[in-house]
Amino acid sequence: MFGLFNNKKEEPASPGLTTLLQETQERWFTFLGKLETRMEELGTAALPELREALAADTDPYKRTFLKMQSGVNGQFENIRQKAYDTYDQQVNGLYDQLSNEIPVLHPAHNQLMDFRNSCSDRYHQQFDSKYHYWRDQIQATSRRDLETEYRQILDEFEQVKNQFTCSQCGAPIAIQKIFFISTYLPCPSCQTQNSFEPGSQARQLQFIARDLAEQRTAHLHTAYEKENALEREYYHEAHTLKLSTIHEHDKKILAQKEAEMAAIEARRQESIRRTPELYRQYLRAMYDELNLILPDLKDHHEKMYQNQMNGQ
Amino acid sequence: MTDKKIGSFLQKLKEKASQQEHYGGEAETTAAGMSARSCPQCGAGRAQHDGLTRCSYCGFEFIETTLTDGLYIKKEDNSQ
Repeated sequence: MFGLFNNKKEEPASPGLTTLLQETQERWFTFLGKLETRMEELGTAALPELREALAADTDPYKRTFLKMQSGVNGQFENIRQKAYDTYDQQVNGLYDQLSNEIPVLHPAHNQLMDFRNSCSDRYHQQFDSKYHYWRDQIQATSRRDLETEYRQILDEFEQVKNQFTCSQCGAPIAIQKIFFISTYLPCPSCQTQNSFEPGSQARQLQFIARDLAEQRTAHLHTAYEKENALEREYYHEAHTLKLSTIHEHDKKILAQKEAEMAAIEARRQESIRRTPELYRQYLRAMYDELNLILPDLKDHHEKMYQNQMNGQ
Repeated sequence: MTDKKIGSFLQKLKEKASQQEHYGGEAETTAAGMSARSCPQCGAGRAQHDGLTRCSYCGFEFIETTLTDGLYIKKEDNSQ
């Protein structure tokens, strides 16, 4: 095929090979472009429908909305699977077939590698980032408005806290705090143990507490994540500079680059020092919020906080 | 997929999702309530200082297990 083994002298790749690789690459790019268009159309149409479905869902666990979200995610998964299968068959298949025929040291092999690299980059970098963007957008539609739900629980508590009376003697029993599990309350007059059962809305409090606390301290978490990512950025900056000194002979430029690298290294060390501090700050703030929402579980929360701190 | 096809797909998805029964049944919403359990044997009320596990008048066992410290219930709530 392509007459590559016929001549002892090295020859440039035959036009047949170039055309084949070019056409395959173009077809692959067009195919990915079509899939990306389909993802965009589906995503743009689905996002408002999903938000509407979440708002209209009366189920406390939002199961109708979740079903719809799964359906949309399934469509995206089909698109991803199609891209994966086609890449495997058309691009990798062709590469495997040709790399068996073209020896590595032959100049045509460079063309083959370029073909494979550009197809792979188009797929793994561009297509994948778009795919992940749409999946994140779909995921973001399930974000519940926890502040409103928390406010509803507090309002319900204000309404019902003075409504109850003892079943034995009829004296009023004031509910002092928001209970989220069934509890014994002694009647102040006759000491009888009354079982207080909170409503299903109040019972949700323990399940939304952590997410609500994390939502309220999300800005601190973002600051920690940013600082965490900086260390790698500085490292790569210094590394690129270091690579550029390999063939550098000018002493002045070398000294300048060394100074720059030292400065970047100092910033990197500062970032390494700051990252755990920011994480501790975030954790403490998050647990403080959690204690505000569920004060009864304060001991439990403090234990969790200590475990997380010790595990660091 | 054209816009029309996507639109009709989403419509059908919405209808199916709303018509399908939830696995595990519908969630019950209950309001808060207060009740007291009196002894089925002698009709006496249950007071906290007498303990929660046995009737202080006739000894009827309300709770078989020994109570340990929980969020609101403590070991001291065991009847003597």
